[in-house]
Order: sequence, then structure tokens, then C-alpha cells
Amino acid sequence: MDPILSQTKWKKGSAEMLILSLIEARPRHGYEISKLIEQRSGGAVHFHVASLYPLLYRLERRGWIQGRWVEKADQRRRRYYRLTRQGRRILAAQLREWREFVAGINCITETENA
Amino acid sequence: MPEWKPEILRRLAPLNLAPTREAEISDELSQHLEDRYQDLLASGQSEDAAFRTTLDELKSDLLAQGLKSIERNFYREPIVPGNANGNVFEGIVQDVRYAVRMLMKSPGFTAIAVLTLALGIGANTAIFTIVHGVLLRPLPFKDPSKLLMLNESFKSLGFREVGASPPDIAVIERSQKSFTSLGAFQNKGLVVSGGGESEHITAARVSASIFPMLGIQPLLGSTYTEQEDRPGTHVAVLGYGLWQHRYAGRSNIIGQTIELDRNPYTVIGVMPKNFQFPLPGPKYNNEPAELWIPMAFTPNELQGWGDQYNNSVLARLKPGVTFKEAQADAALVTTQIRRVYPPAIAKLFNGVTPAIGLTPLHQAVAGSVETLLLILMGAVGLVLLIACANVATLLLSRAASRSKEIAIRTALGASRVRLIRQMLTEGLVLALAGGVLGILIAFWGTSGLLSLVPSSLALPHSASLGGWVLAFVVTVSCLTAVVFGIAPAFQVSSVQVQGSLQESGRNGTPNRARHRLQGFFVTAEFALAVILLISAGLLIRSFSKLVETSPGFRSDHLLTMSVPLSFEGYSKAAQIRQFYQQAIERIARLPGLKSVAASNDLPLESEDHEILQVEGRLSSTPGMTVTWTLGDYFSTMGIPLIEGRVFTPEDRIGSQPVAVINEEAAKLLWPGTDALGKRLGHPFPNMMRAVVGIVGDVNDGPLGSKPGPHFYLPYFQLPADYIVYNNVIIPINVVVRTSTEPASLTSPVVAQIRSLDPQLAVTNIRTMDQEMASSVAAPKFNTFVLGLFAFLALFLAAIGIYGVLAYSVAQQSHEIGIRMALGAQRRDVMQLILIQGARLALGGLAIGTLAALGLTRMMSSLLYSINASDPLTFAAVATVLLAVALLACYIPARRATRVDPIIALRYE
Repeated sequence: MDPILSQTKWKKGSAEMLILSLIEARPRHGYEISKLIEQRSGGAVHFHVASLYPLLYRLERRGWIQGRWVEKADQRRRRYYRLTRQGRRILAAQLREWREFVAGINCITETENA
Repeated sequence: MPEWKPEILRRLAPLNLAPTREAEISDELSQHLEDRYQDLLASGQSEDAAFRTTLDELKSDLLAQGLKSIERNFYREPIVPGNANGNVFEGIVQDVRYAVRMLMKSPGFTAIAVLTLALGIGANTAIFTIVHGVLLRPLPFKDPSKLLMLNESFKSLGFREVGASPPDIAVIERSQKSFTSLGAFQNKGLVVSGGGESEHITAARVSASIFPMLGIQPLLGSTYTEQEDRPGTHVAVLGYGLWQHRYAGRSNIIGQTIELDRNPYTVIGVMPKNFQFPLPGPKYNNEPAELWIPMAFTPNELQGWGDQYNNSVLARLKPGVTFKEAQADAALVTTQIRRVYPPAIAKLFNGVTPAIGLTPLHQAVAGSVETLLLILMGAVGLVLLIACANVATLLLSRAASRSKEIAIRTALGASRVRLIRQMLTEGLVLALAGGVLGILIAFWGTSGLLSLVPSSLALPHSASLGGWVLAFVVTVSCLTAVVFGIAPAFQVSSVQVQGSLQESGRNGTPNRARHRLQGFFVTAEFALAVILLISAGLLIRSFSKLVETSPGFRSDHLLTMSVPLSFEGYSKAAQIRQFYQQAIERIARLPGLKSVAASNDLPLESEDHEILQVEGRLSSTPGMTVTWTLGDYFSTMGIPLIEGRVFTPEDRIGSQPVAVINEEAAKLLWPGTDALGKRLGHPFPNMMRAVVGIVGDVNDGPLGSKPGPHFYLPYFQLPADYIVYNNVIIPINVVVRTSTEPASLTSPVVAQIRSLDPQLAVTNIRTMDQEMASSVAAPKFNTFVLGLFAFLALFLAAIGIYGVLAYSVAQQSHEIGIRMALGAQRRDVMQLILIQGARLALGGLAIGTLAALGLTRMMSSLLYSINASDPLTFAAVATVLLAVALLACYIPARRATRVDPIIALRYE
């Protein structure tokens, strides 16, 4: 694979990968996703409404995630997103690529710093 | 608490989303903003600061931009749509899905509707396939529209269309200016021998110019040249079929010698598989040949003025010359022919010379079946209309149960246009399903129908469902959908919302307009069915009259076969006379046989007419059928003797020349006086014969044709140059009257003939009953096919009236309940329903009868011995139709009488 192309693809896909991995274990609603990203990145990554939801809808449209309105007692109606079977496959592939990329970077940086 | 939605909606506005989708997004986003706002407050921000930070997340244009590419064309409205905005095509897929779901919900209705349409569309497709194959598809030749057939005619002598005589063809060839090429052809039976059993085949003598004119290249070798198209050049071109079955498709056949009528011929070419010539359809020379030899007119033939009108002529128009110009040219050529006619012949023809007529080849080929095909096309068109009307009434009935659904959709904001579109979509889905099933029906139907086509009809024996036919089906299906969908669609979409929602289910007041519309459709169905039934009824009556017609002879227990001799084996008249004499004597000795005779032609298939001269008169006779008989011909055939005597063995060369004529000839030639003893005969050479007997009339042409004047003479009085004419021996048919089943004598009779000459090919073996059957095969086929469609029409119309009444009974059960509660008897209720049905059927009957009076005139040419407005047929059809209608009404009427007043009223 052309390394430059692969990197561009990865950058574009990284936001998607974050969302997919966050709902891998269980369905979450939009606000929860944005909060988790912010928390776990220590505030370094922040998705605001105007970029998060278009992304969610795009993923939904591709069939990678599926949103469903859920009403719980004493709570307002919220839309929960879960990973579809296809989404699960895509996530696995993206994680693999990501690890290969990181491993490649590590190889280079470790050799330079040795 | 801040209101987030207005902020969000303002930002979504430029996207023009569907309202439901817009609401969904704003719900989700406002939820998010609220969560965020609450978190910020919890973290200690002031309300004002938290509000601003939260709102900042929307980033003014960014949201709309981000959503734009995703939401465009993405959102699908939920089922049961409210208002559709945007363009007309939006939601078509949804309409189709909805239509399919609705149709699946009522499988009974869908099955009946699809089946009805499939029958209509299938019948149309089957007939269109045949019509396309015969009338619409160009002939398989190069530039076929430029090909014309030439014929001669002697209108004043009663010959409206005959072939062309060789000397005339020569004149035409010399003096015409309209054609690039011109050639003659003639069917000819030949016996192929050598390398296997002798075999009689259909061949054709064909001018060399014909092959290049048709533009068909041989598969192997070549066709012959003008130089080879001369008497004495023995070359032959094989047809693909003969090449395959007799010569096993060997390519080394080119250059080899085969034996035709015991003459050696060199094979120079093989034509491709699909090459067919002559084409079936024209009156003469219409049998596709298996082998072609040069036309090669002999000098004798070229001198045969006023004779041998058995050649067909094909010509190709010059580029730029119109049909009209060619006709004008043909008139000029006619004067040329007149100028060179020998005076003696001109005198015989009473100064009448032939006129030359032109017919486009396509018309000559398809003309004989054109009327039939157009009638069938019209018939299936009517069947389809009936099917449409049927489905329309079904849809209307269904609409009753759907008025609530429609009302809800209207209340939700569905526009009328949208509802009509939805209804039409349902119609289209039904029609296309019907179309697909119809193609299957057509596929079986076409091959089934064509397998029944008798050989006397110039219809193909196979036809393929090609692209044109598929295009036809799709078009018909779509048109059908519009035709049966439009009225119910308009009717349904005008549902009154409030009324329908308040109405208590199916017991509500029946919709008057809907009822009227249904009544209209059923009446129309019956009217259409009446037209078809009357047409079929006329054909059936005509056919039954036809088969009851006596052909003038007794066709039972008669076996016939053709015994052609070839000039190469039998060049002397004496030899030929002796052969037939011996053949008859030997056959007569067989057991199980009553009598045996022979003749040059047989009833029902006499084609040759000759012009004779009555002694002492200047004018000649009209064209007469001339039959030469051997043996006990009249008693063998069962032709009654009316007056005088029949031929005896004493009537032979040297004795007084005698003749027997039929009643028609006696009436025509000697009206009011006794024909016995009068003299008439062939003028060249002058051979007058005394009439010694008068016999009954016999059908010369197909059964049902008018018997013409007939002239019988004893074979053994024929001069030698009649028996062998231009090196051709006129073939003789042997006729055997048996006391047992006639076909059982086939082998013994053939064996007796072969014992005289083992190499002889005996052909055309059949019983006279078979001949009778094949003579009426074409009208039988017409009757069967039209009868089939009429039955289909009646069946569909019966289903239609049944459906409407059943629905009406269901609708009126409340009313019927009240009536019965008030003391109405079952009989009254039954009467009420039956009268409803009868009114519809009678209306249809009246309209249909009037229409049929106008339309059946078109089919006069297919009718025998009855008038196109035959009152008996009309009355019979009316009876059958009313009976079927009442039967169809009886079931719902009985159901109505079973209405229990208590149950019917409880629903209120």
C-alpha cells in the first residue's frame, strides 16, 4: 500500500474509528460519545455538535452504526447508537491498520533514538 | 430553561429537509445541547455563560454544511405518507413498495386481478407475436419492400388472378422499364432417386435472376447463372433440409451428380438453413421448395400462347421508381403483349388479352391471412379491455374497504395528486405482474396455437418472443394500468375525509358514485363480450353449415394417391396409357375393394381451368375444370349421374369423342335446353366432343366454394400430345373405394403399383375424408381461436358481474336485513339482487348487439352461407349471455337470502 495514501486515509478515518470503538461495547447516545472522547483524551479532542452529528448520520447511512430512540423511566427520550455487524468488521480493520501504522512509526523513531 | 429547537431549526432551514426528518434531528440535537448546558451549569458556569458556550457548539453554518451532503436524498418518508413535497418523482420507490405491501395484504384480490390481466395480456402477446411474425416483420430478403409479384388476369373471363404464361413473361422481360430484374418460378414435384429409396420432393423451377434478386448467398457452392438457365443444363441447388437428411450434410456434395426424375443433375450449391422460397401465402406456387433447378423455359413453352398460366413472376423495382409508375409501365407492357398475340388465340379470348397486375411481395404473402389476423387482434384487444374493466371493478370494490385508509392519509396532508399516483402505482404493479405472467401464458399459448395452424393457412409454424414482443407487452401493461387504474384512482381520491372517518366500517352508506362506476364497467364488459360472442357464434354457425355441406361426392371409404410418371421412363403416350390401364386392372383384383378409378385431378383441389369452345358459337366458354377419367370414375367417387350415361371402356381412341358435363355447365352453356348431344371441346387442336351425360355438381375448390362448370372426358380418348405435354406427363391420381377402412388398403395398393415399376414414387397418399378435413381446416382454426377468445371474454365478464354483485350484497346486507325484518320473503330478496344483475347484463347486451351489428360486417369474408347479422346467432348469444349472467348473479343472490336480519342489524 502506498504509505502516504494510507496515512491520509487514516487521518480521515480516525474520528470514525473513535466513535466506532466507543460504542463497540454498548450503545451510547451522542452526548455520551462526545463527553467520553473529551474525557479520555484529557480534553485534547473535542467534538462539537456541528461536527459530531453529521459524522454519526454518515456512519448510520453507511450502515456501520444504527441509531434508535430509547425511552427510559425518569429520563428523556434519547437516541442510542449501536455498532452494526458491518460496523464491527470495519472497526476491526481500522484498528489493525492503526496498529500497523503505530508499529511502523515506532520502528522508525526507536531506531533514530537508539 | 433555554429553548434550543428554534436555534437548531433556523440552522437546518436551508437544507429543506422533510418535516419528520427535521423534527427528528432537532429533537436529538436539542437533547444534546440541553445535556451540555446542564453539565456546564453543574461545573459552576453562570446561566448566561453556559448558554453562550452551548450555543457556540452549533457553529452557525457548520451544522448545515456538515449535514448537507448526508441528508440530501437520504431521508425516506415513513409508510403512510402525509404530504409529499419536492419533485414528482420523489417517493416513487416508496410508492412501489407501499403498493406491493398493500397488494400482498389482500392475496385473493391480487391473485384474481393478476390472473385476469395475465390472461388478457397473454392472449394479446400471443396474437401479437403471430401478427408481428406475419404482417409486421419484413421478409427475410434484401430490401424486401422493392420486391413485387406480377400476375396476369382475364377479368372478363372470370380469371381475376392467374400466373403468367411463358411467352408473356418473355414480352414483359423485353419491354418493361421499371424493374432492375425479373424472374419466374414454379413449384414442381420431383422424384429424387439414387443413393437410397426414391423420394418425392417439392422442388421449384426458378429463373437464375431470382437468387441475386432475393440477395441470399448460398451456404455452399454457388447458384446458377443466366447461361446455365437454359434447357438441357442440368444443375440443381439443394435446400438445407434435403442436404441434411438425404446427403447427411456432406460438403463434398458440390459437384456430385444426383438423379431427379431419372435425369442426372449436378449439385452446384446448398442454400442456407433459413432460406425459404417460394414463400407460402400467394395463391399459386406457394410451397417452399427443397431443391431448385433452372426455370429454363423450353422453346415449346415459349410458344405456348394463351396457355400455362402457372408461373409466378417476381421483380425488383428500380431505385426511384414508385409502385404507381411501375403499374403504369405494366399497362404499357400489356399493349405490347396484345400486339404480339397470335390472332387465333386472340379470337379464342374474344379479343381479351391479359392485363398485368402488380402486388407487393409482402402483401401477396400476408394478404390471405391479413383479415383473420386483424380480427384476432381485435378480439384479443376486446378481451384485454374486459380484463381491464374487471380489474377496475375489483379495485373499486376494494376501494370501499380502503376509504378509511385514504381518509387518514388525506387528513395527514396527502394531496389528491399523490393519492392518485399511489393508486396508479398499485395498478402498474398489478399490470406488470400480469404482464410477466402473461408472457408465460403467451409463450405456451403461441406455440400451442401455432401447432394447430393448418397448412392451408399461410401462418408460420413457429414464432419467437423477441424484443418487439417484449416492448409490446411492457407498453400494453402500462397502458392497461392507466386504463383500469384511472377511474378508481380518481374515485378513491375524492373520498370525503370526515364522512369516511365517521362511517362505521363496511356497513356505512354505499358510495353511489362508486356503484355507478362499477355498473358502467360491468355493462361495458358485457357489451364487449357480446361482440366477441357474436363473432364467434357466427363463425361456429358458418362452420357447422360448411361441414354439413355436401361436396357433391361421397368422401367416405375413398383412398387416393398420386402416381406421377416421368418423361425419362415413359416418353410415349401409348406406354403411359398402358401403365395406368394395367395399374387399375391390378388394383381392382385386391380384396376389400369395391371399385377403382383414376383422374388427373380430384374434387376440392382442382386448380386448372380451361377455356373451351362450343360448336357453332363464336364466343368461348368461361373457365371450366377439365377432368380426364380412367375406369369407373363417377361411381367410385359417388358422383350421381343425372342424365344420359357415363363413360364405358368403349370410349377410346378411334371411337366417337364424348364428354360428360356437370349440371352447372349444362345450365350455363345451354340454358333451358337439353345439353345431351350438344358438342364442345378444346379448340387447339379442334376436337369437339358430344355430351353424353350430365352429372351432379362437385366442389372443385375448397368445401363451401361454389361449384363451377365441369368438363369430364375419358383418358383413353386423349390425343398423345395431351398425355405428354412439353415433355411433362400430367400426373394421375388413383382413387379406390373400399369396403373396409380405406387407409388399411394403402400398402396393398402401393405394392400393386410398384409391381409395375419398382422405382416409382407414389405420393400424396390420403383418404378423401382427410382431404375434406384439411379443406375445412382453415375455417376450423379460425372458429376455434375466436371461440376460445369469446369463451375467455364470457368467463371474465361473468367473474366481473359476480364480483360486483357479491360486493353489492355485502354492502347492502344491512338494508337486506331491515327488509327481511320487515317481512320481505327470501324470494323477494333474491329477485332484488337478480334484477340488479340482469339490468347490468341487459344494458351490456343491448349496447354490444348494436356494436356487433356494425362490426361483424368486417368478417363477412370468413363466413359461409350465413349473413353477418344472422338473427339466430344473435338470439343464441343473447340467451347464453343472459343465462351466464344470471348464474353469476345467483350465487351472491343466494347469499343475500341467507342474511340473518338480527346479525345484519347488530353491526350498526
